Amino acid sequence: MKRKLISVLLTATMAATLLAGCGGSGSETASSGAAAGDGGELNVFVWTEYVPDSVFEKFEEETGIKVNVSTYSSNEDMLAKVKSESEGTYDIVQPSDYMIQLMIEQGMLEELNQEALTNLSNIGESYLDPSYDPGNKYSVPYQGGVAAIAVNTDKVDLDVTSYNDLFDPALSGSLVVLDDYRAVIGMAARSLGYSMNETDTAKLTEVQDKLLTLKDNVKLYDSDSPKSALISGDCTAGFAWSAEIALAMEENPAIEVVYPSEGAYLFMDNWAITKGAKNYEAAMQFINFMLDSESAQMVSEEFPYLCPNTKAVEAMGEEYSGNLAKNPPADVIAAGEYVENLDTDTLAIYDEMWTKLKQ
Amino acid sequence: MKSAHAKHEWKSNTLPAMVMVGPVTLCMILLVAIPLIYVGVMSFCSIDQYYNVVFKFTTQNHLRLFSTDYLKIYGQSLAIAFLTTLFCILIGYPFSYLIARTKSKRKKLLYMLVIIPFWTNSLIRIYGWRTFLGTNGWLNTALQFLHLTSEPIDFLFKQGTTVLGMVYCLIPFMILPLYTSIEKLDTNLLEASSDLGAKKISTFLEVVLPLTAGGIFSGSIMVFIPCLGYFFVSDILGGGNSDVIGNLIERQFQSGNNWPLGAALSIILILITLLLVKLYQKMGGDMESLGM
Repeated sequence: MKRKLISVLLTATMAATLLAGCGGSGSETASSGAAAGDGGELNVFVWTEYVPDSVFEKFEEETGIKVNVSTYSSNEDMLAKVKSESEGTYDIVQPSDYMIQLMIEQGMLEELNQEALTNLSNIGESYLDPSYDPGNKYSVPYQGGVAAIAVNTDKVDLDVTSYNDLFDPALSGSLVVLDDYRAVIGMAARSLGYSMNETDTAKLTEVQDKLLTLKDNVKLYDSDSPKSALISGDCTAGFAWSAEIALAMEENPAIEVVYPSEGAYLFMDNWAITKGAKNYEAAMQFINFMLDSESAQMVSEEFPYLCPNTKAVEAMGEEYSGNLAKNPPADVIAAGEYVENLDTDTLAIYDEMWTKLKQ
Repeated sequence: MKSAHAKHEWKSNTLPAMVMVGPVTLCMILLVAIPLIYVGVMSFCSIDQYYNVVFKFTTQNHLRLFSTDYLKIYGQSLAIAFLTTLFCILIGYPFSYLIARTKSKRKKLLYMLVIIPFWTNSLIRIYGWRTFLGTNGWLNTALQFLHLTSEPIDFLFKQGTTVLGMVYCLIPFMILPLYTSIEKLDTNLLEASSDLGAKKISTFLEVVLPLTAGGIFSGSIMVFIPCLGYFFVSDILGGGNSDVIGNLIERQFQSGNNWPLGAALSIILILITLLLVKLYQKMGGDMESLGM
């Protein structure tokens, strides 16, 4: 009897907490929204280790809009999530160049209200009107960069100057590389002098053979925070995003950035609004806020990627411009290559290569 | 008359049965049957150039499952699962024996030692291992401090590290069924064995081990199967160098964006699981101790 009583009580408590749980989450957002001035909500979906919390907080303070942040670690992950969630789950996404084009072609993005983009003039001329989104109808640039080479000169004797050097047996078991198949396969293709967007099957076979020689050198695949393994010393060289290398260099002066002689992998990430976004006005407000030079500066201090915001670059001065990893030289950008969308058959070959490398 | 009878039966049997079984059946249909059919249908679909799933029948996904690359990863995954199970038995058996044979209060303490880490998210615990084993981690610092090594040892990002992480995550699943079966063991049998002149080793091999084999079996199943799917362990501790089947599935649903192929791979995992459970049943395993 006693046991029965206890079980009934337990069930009742569980049911009550369940309901309380439901009510709790609802009221929480409402109350914090009210505290911030009740300016509504905004759901942003951004790369990991890419947008500092301080920027979101500043935006919340200024506008009273509550920002909910989710993160992803590759363009393809983002695409899969946006597609599988119901329309309007995320208001803002941060796709790279080729992904912007793919999303526009699929009608997954909302056109931007150009009149609300009063800060667009802060962006350097050369970063506007890109080939993947003519006229910036759907997107504005956020930050860009290079998938460059990091070398810990204390531990590595090899004189690394190119992507090709990453395949050198001297680097056996010491590399951290991006867990991103387009970047790594693209790097292998560049090392042979081919395009990162190669579709010729004969050339791709060569790329595959080359790629498999990288296997012994790779210790870790990490796209989220390759700097960690470089700083901790677990990996002594790597193929990583330029800002990650810049941050690793600040922690350990022995780490150097090398821009590959073959021409590097380039990327430009952008702000865009998803089709069916529930908070379009707030999203426009946010994008314009991010184009402000002060926001760009705050971002650069924490995640020092290539900054397209000319006004912010001027304000940051030598601290940014004089840093080789933060501010890749113009000739590196000129010699580099962007990833493009490929047909499914070619992508299947890429996927197969990636599986071979990672087994 | 007949209809009245039927009506009566409906009242007395069907309604209570419907009330009792109905919700369970509904749950099974909604949460097991429909998702399984969905995965099955999905595996025959194709994708278009934008990675969208389109209902164009193809067996391409299933054919790709038998490519040598995938076969190698299944092999690697099975090897990792096998080693993990083996280590779990080797470590778990003495420990379960200890718990089961300890008297009084300490028994609860030992039992809680297994359960409490279980309450912390396994991702966090796995990251803990990464900091512990790193080049500048605690273990290497301690080893160098004690002058046992001069250079830090490379522990991380190897197949062995993945096995370590798997053993660490899954060992409670081995200890708990083992504990139950060892505790059920009648101590009179051990006395009888020694009275009849058997040495401790032969008592263990001929009495204890056969009587607790059920626990080893169910523990092994409960360790082996999740091991094939725990992709986060091989990601974090293996550094992406020791993929299991779970990694293949995860990749196709996330960065690969090829859901039909991912679905086909999931079916492989389901088939391996069914096969193992069938094997377990054939060998006289008890379904109840698997929680079924």
